[in-house]
Amino acid sequence: MRGKYILVVFVLLISSMKIAVAQNNLFIARDHLVLQIDLKTSDKELDSIFKIAGVSKSNAQKLLKGNYNSIKEDGWDLATHENKIIRFDRSLSGLNENPQDAPFEITTHLPEFAGEPGYPVDVKYGVNKYAHATVFALPSGLTRFILPGYTRARRVFLSGNFNHWSTLKGAMKKGDGGWIIDVKLEPGAYEYKYIVDSRWITDPNNLQLIDDGAGNTNSLFFKYNYTIKLAGYPSAKKVVLAGDFNKWNANELLMDKKSNGWEKHLFLGDGKHIYHFLVDEKWVADPANPKKLKDDDGRLNSVLNLGEAITFKLSGHKNARNVFVAGNFNYWRPDEFSMDKTSDGWTITTTIIPGNYQYRFVVDGDWITDPANPHYAAEDGKINSFLAVRPNHTFKLKGHANAKKVTLNGSFNNWEENGYIMERKGDSWTIDFYLKPGKYLYKFRVDGEWMIDPGNKLWEQNDHDSQNSVLWIE
Amino acid sequence: MRKVYLLLTLIILFRHSVAAGNDRVMIGNISFKNATVKRDPDPAPYADFKTLVVPIKRAGNLIIVEAQVDSLEGNFVLDTGAPYLVLNATYFRYMPEIADQEAGGINGESKGAFTTYVHNFKILDLQYSRLTADVTDLSSIENGRNIKILGLLGTRLFENFSITVDLFNNVLYIQKVDKSGNVPEGEKIFHDRLMFSPFKYINSVIFLKGTVNNNTYWFGFDTAAETNLLDYDRFKKIVKDLQIINRSKINGIGGKGLEVLYARFDGLTVGDHTFEKNRTLITDLEKMGKAYGSNIDGILGYDFFVRGIFTINFVKKEFEMYIYNNK
Repeated sequence: MRGKYILVVFVLLISSMKIAVAQNNLFIARDHLVLQIDLKTSDKELDSIFKIAGVSKSNAQKLLKGNYNSIKEDGWDLATHENKIIRFDRSLSGLNENPQDAPFEITTHLPEFAGEPGYPVDVKYGVNKYAHATVFALPSGLTRFILPGYTRARRVFLSGNFNHWSTLKGAMKKGDGGWIIDVKLEPGAYEYKYIVDSRWITDPNNLQLIDDGAGNTNSLFFKYNYTIKLAGYPSAKKVVLAGDFNKWNANELLMDKKSNGWEKHLFLGDGKHIYHFLVDEKWVADPANPKKLKDDDGRLNSVLNLGEAITFKLSGHKNARNVFVAGNFNYWRPDEFSMDKTSDGWTITTTIIPGNYQYRFVVDGDWITDPANPHYAAEDGKINSFLAVRPNHTFKLKGHANAKKVTLNGSFNNWEENGYIMERKGDSWTIDFYLKPGKYLYKFRVDGEWMIDPGNKLWEQNDHDSQNSVLWIE
Repeated sequence: MRKVYLLLTLIILFRHSVAAGNDRVMIGNISFKNATVKRDPDPAPYADFKTLVVPIKRAGNLIIVEAQVDSLEGNFVLDTGAPYLVLNATYFRYMPEIADQEAGGINGESKGAFTTYVHNFKILDLQYSRLTADVTDLSSIENGRNIKILGLLGTRLFENFSITVDLFNNVLYIQKVDKSGNVPEGEKIFHDRLMFSPFKYINSVIFLKGTVNNNTYWFGFDTAAETNLLDYDRFKKIVKDLQIINRSKINGIGGKGLEVLYARFDGLTVGDHTFEKNRTLITDLEKMGKAYGSNIDGILGYDFFVRGIFTINFVKKEFEMYIYNNK
């Protein structure tokens, strides 16, 4: 009996302690959202409650220093401040201002579920691993996918990020002992599956599977774009290719022996790669590649730059001492790309990853735009020359021959107000662009007048009671 | 006591008179406006199958089904929150208009929305020779999820069937039912039942009855809602049971920011099963309710239906959930 009594007292004590220990909290009371901050709790606990309450980091920092102005501006009122406990509250009347008709109008804007599972991003390199070579490049450049078996299936589709995971577009043909389809793929990494009588399956012959982060497993295929060769070394037992792209893994990329040396087919992403060979574990830089770079220990690596070779030219400025080109492709470093003097000006050819860029020439320290380029764009309010590397779309506006200035404005640069200055070519205003797959919204601006693209019948309503043209890059 | 009796009588009388007016329907204490436009029913679809298996895709928490409209094929959102087929104005604004969309469907108040017919609408072997469709702006889904959306597949497309969604294997089953409204035993795919509940089907919207902490609520079941949603005013009674887990502002809807609260709560009973650790948005559903032609307490969305493989038998008006035995 006494034991029970002690237990009861103990429980009461514990529960009262729990009440006495104030804590951070966010709760609803009397139509208000109440944020309770206990300054005695740890930084981590404070961070967590601020995050839950949607209080920005800078506002939280000011609050902790005793400055409540910013958090008040954000709609929180100071309710009580006792000892180390501060309570703010805000009216929940805002919750009653929901103008949406359908739940999806809210929920599709929740960032929690954003992202694109099933679309590989920033893959630096890759090699295929198949139990049987059932996916391979044809001499025509097309890629053949074969699914052996399933001969009693009624319909089989190939679906992957290359066809936006279509369940209808990649219909395979039934052949002897299996299903077949040829598709056009650019070099790159691709996730795919087969759909056999409406059921998704991974490729049974592909040993490389990838978790898409959303609960699915897909097969992974690389369309190759590069062959690295090492001549000679006929008596070597093992030759390995190692590079920064695979974190210098000395066991992964075994080279294949050929009659006159060793080679490796693989996919290498655009950009700069550093590599060497390990010939029976002995370090060898690529003798066929003149571009070398010493590492911290003074050992030689080979350097490969993949992308588009772009030549910049600047006429005149013959008396300049030095001329550089700088842009957002090199983080505007002013003295990296030194141009060479020619008979009538300056030039440089360099490799740039496909994309849309802004640049200027730096002539003896003077930043000037490219006088030979009609296209301009703005960054941080400053006008620069504009260049699309490996463009895949041309925006075109017919007519408006007498316009002085026509710009392209759109979601691709967050509707930056200066837009991109278009060029008058023939009967139209045009500009070339590099656009990744996805949806883009845009408009033209002719001498300040906004208009949707009359040559594009796709448009949607915008938030300003007008319309935007819609472009899908497949 | 007499007062209570009088009040009850009045309520019953009032309810009766309203029901007799035939423009409102009552469930529990909630009234529903008969909001749907009186339209000629579309011809029954051609369906040469017992069970049609359709592969589905996901975009965020949306369920995407590919379908064909004439020669155009593309993505549609399976949306039990929509009564009909809804087409995205971006791609279908040039369709012939058959009527103004008054008092209409889910997007009744949208600018420039209208009603049309589509011919030859096809989901694999399920073919509709004619379907009434609303054309409206669905850019918010496209821009929120960066996926091309031709439209929404609303409930009326499936009214003659039982449909089952297996989110674990990304498959939709569309099944014919027998004379008594059941899927024939031999065609049943799943057997480990997690829950069962009858539902009300009003204005082509599915309403499930649920209880939280002894309070009864009516929820719209919406496969296009990527979370659950509760109406703040109607859930005030249980506000103490809601644990707020996030407050944030979402941008870009109608140009205005919208404040949303995320909460967690336990003990949501629907049919014969109690669901724990439910996540929900808390907001005001009055306007959404109007679009449904009713007042609603809440909407059960992804957080609810992801708990199992779910079946909606539109003929018997029954909702079920199954689980994989070995999962």
